Amino acid sequence: MWSILGILTVAIGITLYEVPSILEKNFKKELWVFSSLLLFGVVLSIIESLNIDIPTPLDWLAVIYKPFTDLIFGVLE
Amino acid sequence: MGRSDEEMIGNEKISPRQFKFLVILCYIGTSILVTPGNVASVTKQDAWIATILGVLIGLLLVWLYNSLGNNFSNMTLVEYSEKLLGKWIGKLISLLFILFLFINCSTLVYILGNFITTQIMPETPVQFTNIIFVIVIIMGTRLGLESFARATEILYPCVIGLFIILILSLCKDIEIQNIQPVFEFGIKPIIRGSLLYVSYSSLTLIALMMIFPAYVNNMKEAKKSFLKGTLTGGIIIFIVTLLSILVLGHDITARNVFPVYILAKKIHIGNFIERIEPIISVLWFITMFFKTIIYFYGATLGLAQILKLKDYKSLTLSLGMILVVLSLVVYPNTAYADTWNTTTWVPFVLTYGFFLPLLLLLVGKVRKSRREKN
Repeated sequence: MWSILGILTVAIGITLYEVPSILEKNFKKELWVFSSLLLFGVVLSIIESLNIDIPTPLDWLAVIYKPFTDLIFGVLE
Repeated sequence: MGRSDEEMIGNEKISPRQFKFLVILCYIGTSILVTPGNVASVTKQDAWIATILGVLIGLLLVWLYNSLGNNFSNMTLVEYSEKLLGKWIGKLISLLFILFLFINCSTLVYILGNFITTQIMPETPVQFTNIIFVIVIIMGTRLGLESFARATEILYPCVIGLFIILILSLCKDIEIQNIQPVFEFGIKPIIRGSLLYVSYSSLTLIALMMIFPAYVNNMKEAKKSFLKGTLTGGIIIFIVTLLSILVLGHDITARNVFPVYILAKKIHIGNFIERIEPIISVLWFITMFFKTIIYFYGATLGLAQILKLKDYKSLTLSLGMILVVLSLVVYPNTAYADTWNTTTWVPFVLTYGFFLPLLLLLVGKVRKSRREKN
């Protein structure tokens, strides 16, 4: 509970720090990218703070690269 | 956090000297603590031969990066691949490259957090060490390339000084029979070991293509700096590996995650200079910081360039937040990290560190010769 509160506080802090200067310069695209990244970050952090398992991206990479891995280390075995 | 609003992408320039220091620190990066163990687990007492081979391969790779850099003297790798391969394929490849940088960045933060919680501060939750480290990285990135490149000029002499202290104080513990017999297991383990070594050190230098040659003054000098930096870094890692084997023996070296730290614990001079291993951790924090910041800077700048944003600094805080979470989940445990580093990591880094620049170089050549024919 406390950690979620902390994450939201940080997110609000980041928004207050960042958004005025983006708005001032009228960077529309920057605002979109910034908001979606921040939203993604907040959601990820909350999932992590609730101790729900986030799969590591390395697992997928290991599957994709399996043939190459076998090839390289097969030759050098 | 300093904010200079007038600074947009691409206004920064660093000198070849600063670039050389960045190359060295980036090259030493993780290797100084991790390489001896990983390489020794494959090649036993011949690990030092594997590092020599690795340094030579590394110089060839840098030569490849240099000749690729010739093709685009005022662009970063991301901009160049978009120009060369067209909008969509170029953007896709750049996006994959950025993901590669970002994943590497998170693994580095993991390694640092892991080191601090296992060796120095076992009771601090790893989340907090990671958060603090990421905050420093974000600050550095926001201050910009020029600032952290200038910081290398102060911190590089510290690294070399600490390194010399480490070497000198271990000279008396050397036992030459630890590296005998030479070539006991033949050439194959040596090639495998040097491949592992190259995968941590030289192949990851591709991250510097987000800085070089676009933001470095004097292309000709910069190319020389790239080679010199790689050579210097290679010599440092070679000495560290040789020392670990000579002092600890290959067995202890291979069995520890951070053998150089154990090495520093060995130092006893007289009966009053002891337990100076914090020296090696300071050294390592500095090199680690620069390696991580190169990745993070590359990833943020690259993302901004793909999306054609005018300012990358607004992305740093939210990307940093994602980075912290990723660093906590990227390796479920140390055993996983070990397996990953010695298997999938090698083809993964080869894709970006070797095949990507090779592809760009070849496509560039074909394009050029076609243009000349027309």
